[in-house]
Amino acid sequence: MNELDDIDGLAAEYVLGTLNREERLSVESRLLSEPALKAGIEAWQRRLTPLADTVTPVLPPPNLYNKIRAQIGLSAHVISLKARERQLTQRGNRWRNAAAAMTAMAASLVGVVAIREQHYQQMPTQFVAVLQAGDDKPAFLMTVDTRTHNCVITAVAAPKKAEKSYEVWMVHDQLPKPKSLGVMSEGDMNVMPMADGPDNDMFMNASFAVSLEPEGGSPTGAPTGPVLFSGKLMKATP
Amino acid sequence: MQLTRKQLDSLIGAVAKGDEAAFAELYQVSSSKLFAVALRILRNREAAEEVLQESYFRVWEKAGDFNPALASPLTWMAAIVRNRCIDEVRRKVPRGSTDESLLENLESADEHPIVGLERQEDVQRLMRCMEGLEPEKKQMVRLAYLDGMSREDLAAKFGRPEGTIKTWLHRSLAQLKGCLEQ
Repeated sequence: MNELDDIDGLAAEYVLGTLNREERLSVESRLLSEPALKAGIEAWQRRLTPLADTVTPVLPPPNLYNKIRAQIGLSAHVISLKARERQLTQRGNRWRNAAAAMTAMAASLVGVVAIREQHYQQMPTQFVAVLQAGDDKPAFLMTVDTRTHNCVITAVAAPKKAEKSYEVWMVHDQLPKPKSLGVMSEGDMNVMPMADGPDNDMFMNASFAVSLEPEGGSPTGAPTGPVLFSGKLMKATP
Repeated sequence: MQLTRKQLDSLIGAVAKGDEAAFAELYQVSSSKLFAVALRILRNREAAEEVLQESYFRVWEKAGDFNPALASPLTWMAAIVRNRCIDEVRRKVPRGSTDESLLENLESADEHPIVGLERQEDVQRLMRCMEGLEPEKKQMVRLAYLDGMSREDLAAKFGRPEGTIKTWLHRSLAQLKGCLEQ
């Protein structure tokens, strides 16, 4: 009779799926430092995966692919934003310097923010983001107050769409999926109170995006429409 | 749709370079199989959809890490989906309520390989080796792999202590390994 040694037995049961939660976590934590265990798991995946091929296929719902695409779209924006942020950071750490490099349209927005900045000189809890589509002119200006957990979004150059709503999302590594901040209602300025306000760090590292959704907002709780605009917060006060 | 291993490998290669059309095609040829795998373990449509969404997102992000020398694209993707499913069911104790009507639809067929001739050979070889197991052990392996049962679940189902289940599983797996290596 063939016998499995300890490592191979553990690898086999990991792939078979019979380990309990603690044992699974322990296997996963050992993978990096134990190539034999990793190789064992890969070998058992090759041996056993044909079993998965014996189940009768079931068609997933048609909108699932769109959800996946939306998630990928958001992440692509985040990546390009991170790249641009790095670029801007190189030109100067203060957001004003960075903003100076933006388009003429953005420059006029900076004026608006500068006034706010004066007004809130004592409050280092104000953050601002210009949500724009690629290198085009900005479409939304967003300010976030982490003390009151209010998020104010101003439509600057966002085209109105019939029977569609703009929905605002926060994207962050620590969030399992984009978190909806709310749907833009009629009018150019929206105040969105943010329940269970995350901490400053979360805000500073998050990206914000606007997607075009059916009227009233995403029916699924995740972005379903195209991501039109996105941006990142910068400190609006020193 | 039938794709050869080579075609699948090149699809993943294109996905790694950010080719969205290749990603769409990969989704098309694999999603109904992987959805069925997730449904069968999770027994809940909503949870299965969520796992599938996360898994394909991961496929998009990690396609560059895929190593064709180690596994076929389907093996790689199935592992991503199954790991998430099993983590999900192990997180909840005991197993959530079962949708029996869903189960009936899923229990059906024993063999429906969809992708490629080589793949069919893999399936047939494994099925032949599974036939070599005693019926109870064969059922145990299937319940573990396809339905996501833990040792504990199997112990309850077969009315044996977990230690016995572990011994049986290890013997069965060793027997399968020996048979597949012939």
